[in-house]
Amino acid sequence: MSIKTENGASRQAPRRLNAEAFLRPETTLIAVILAIGIATAFRNPNFLNVGNLTDIARAAVIYFVMACGASLLMIGGGLDFSVGSVFTLGGITAAWLMAHAGLSWPFAIAVGLLVGTLAGYANSQVIARLHVPPIIATLGTFFIFTGLCVQITGGQDIVPLPKDFQRLGQGSVLGVPFVVIYAVVIGFIAWFVLEHTPFGVEVRAVGGNRKAAVANGLKVKRIETVLYMLGGFTASLAGIIYAARVGSGQVSAGGSGVTLSVVTAVLIGGISLLGGLGSITGVAVGAILLSTIDNALIVAAVPPQYNTIVVGVILIAAVAIDHVRRERLYRVRR
Amino acid sequence: MSARSEKADGVPEQSGAPALALRRIGKAFGQVKALARVDLAAYPGEIHFIVGDNGAGKSTTLKILSGIYQADEGEVLIHQQPVHMRDASEAHRHGIAVVHQDLALVECLDVATNMALGAIPRRGRFMLDRARMERDAAEVLANLKIRVGSVRTQIGLLSGGERQIVAIARAVRMNLPIILLDEPTAALGVRETAHVGDILDELRRQGKTVICISHDLEFVFAHADRITVMRLGNSVATLMRRNTTRDEVVGMITGTIEALDPERAGAA
Ligand SMILES: Nc1ncnc2c1ncn2[C@@H]1O[C@H](COP(=O)(O)OP(=O)(O)OP(=O)(O)O)[C@@H](O)[C@H]1O
Ligand SMILES: [Mg+2]
Repeated sequence: MSIKTENGASRQAPRRLNAEAFLRPETTLIAVILAIGIATAFRNPNFLNVGNLTDIARAAVIYFVMACGASLLMIGGGLDFSVGSVFTLGGITAAWLMAHAGLSWPFAIAVGLLVGTLAGYANSQVIARLHVPPIIATLGTFFIFTGLCVQITGGQDIVPLPKDFQRLGQGSVLGVPFVVIYAVVIGFIAWFVLEHTPFGVEVRAVGGNRKAAVANGLKVKRIETVLYMLGGFTASLAGIIYAARVGSGQVSAGGSGVTLSVVTAVLIGGISLLGGLGSITGVAVGAILLSTIDNALIVAAVPPQYNTIVVGVILIAAVAIDHVRRERLYRVRR
Repeated sequence: MSARSEKADGVPEQSGAPALALRRIGKAFGQVKALARVDLAAYPGEIHFIVGDNGAGKSTTLKILSGIYQADEGEVLIHQQPVHMRDASEAHRHGIAVVHQDLALVECLDVATNMALGAIPRRGRFMLDRARMERDAAEVLANLKIRVGSVRTQIGLLSGGERQIVAIARAVRMNLPIILLDEPTAALGVRETAHVGDILDELRRQGKTVICISHDLEFVFAHADRITVMRLGNSVATLMRRNTTRDEVVGMITGTIEALDPERAGAA
């Protein structure tokens, strides 16, 4: 028997390649970044200084590292609103252990990451065992973890941190900040896991059609638990990197602002809230776009409210484009 | 096919042992009693159809056989051993492949990936072997004489009938001794239906145990060895195709014939 494709040749024709290139979120995002960059450079040529561009990269790193775990989770059909508080929790745990318990930095980092991963595990269990929808479960744990952070620190920033630890966040080789290198490594691992391992395929299957994944014998609950743990891991890792960069464990770092930025970077990067679709490269560009907008609006002395307006518009546009993609890919009907 | 006789009570007698059997299966969903009492025995080298009206409990029975639901009462026997399957992967391990009524395909993944779900080929310990995945899928489709544009086509782009064929191909690819199909021809045209019939016949020839749910009695009578009729959560009767007629089966489906007439069934 032969199965003819409904729209015949157009499916393989070059026309489809153009459509795909246009629909790849990276293409649109890079165009937007260039447009913002050129406009800003006209207003203030300093925007293109190496120092300023490095600042953009440094800021993007924090979003991106967290977004790696959050992306995998969202592609797998999950959602984590607690990342902003796990970010703080990870940074503070590591900082507290170094400043108040005299732990050496490798141990402190390891415990900080462990705490973050356990926070992710807690999220997964609230969702799986108590049957609370992810958005509410992680909003609840967001408040709980935030409260814990204040409890641990008494609301005070934790200083001083060891010089060795600070160098991890502030040093650079050949002009490339260490933190950028971490982000590239983490990003590569996340990309590899998603695109080149059976686990990555299963994550997409769970996010794309959970019922089908169950029917095909995938260990769906286990996959979901691992995804929430990965989300907690990268959130705490970003928090620790941030603590090293600023040289203190800050209670005020993180919070709802970071949660919203990460979710925004992930969505702008083309990860679908409906699961299944998206790529790590898209998220990397999404994180750079966010930090470019932050930076451009400062450098070009644009009033700050424009920043949020621009982010809001881009977010809505990105999700609207996601719908168009789905329509093309799945014959979504409304 | 080997000669078989039937006992006077209408229960077919079989020289070999059933590959798969259900004994007094009951299943409720809250207030809804989906299955009251289901008995079934399916044999290697046979195509065993399950027929019945909408809501009779056919899919529920199949989901118990595939590990998706667990029975409240009764036993599932595979090669005469009682088994308790907690999820679909355990059914795979017991040698059962399934084509579900809703097809259980992931729309955002391509044909090759969907066909590999549950048994994704690896290179080394951690790497996905995409090349092999695509080769395997193309080979299975070619063997079944199915042509889909490309194994890289996303399922979401296929028509309902194309998806159905892919779901069937996936179950065949697993090459397991028992294969369950829930309305595999529901979305298919005449030619495609005949093709699926050929595939079932080939599976029988290979000695597999095939259990198939269908509303298409023409299809059923063209390919069945055995037919189990379900009504209101009960397995009313199991008939050898050679000894029954469409009218009789229809009567049992609708309930105008209460149970098997022992006299006639005995006259094999
Ligand atoms: N998950 C469930 N929760 C509640 N009730 C269910 C569930 N699954 C099935 N049922 C009920 O069990 C009964 C049998 O359903 P089932 O799907 O097995 O029927 P079927 O014979 O496959 O019908 P069809 O020919 O329409 O596919 C129906 O009354 C249905 O409403
Ligand atoms: Mg059904």
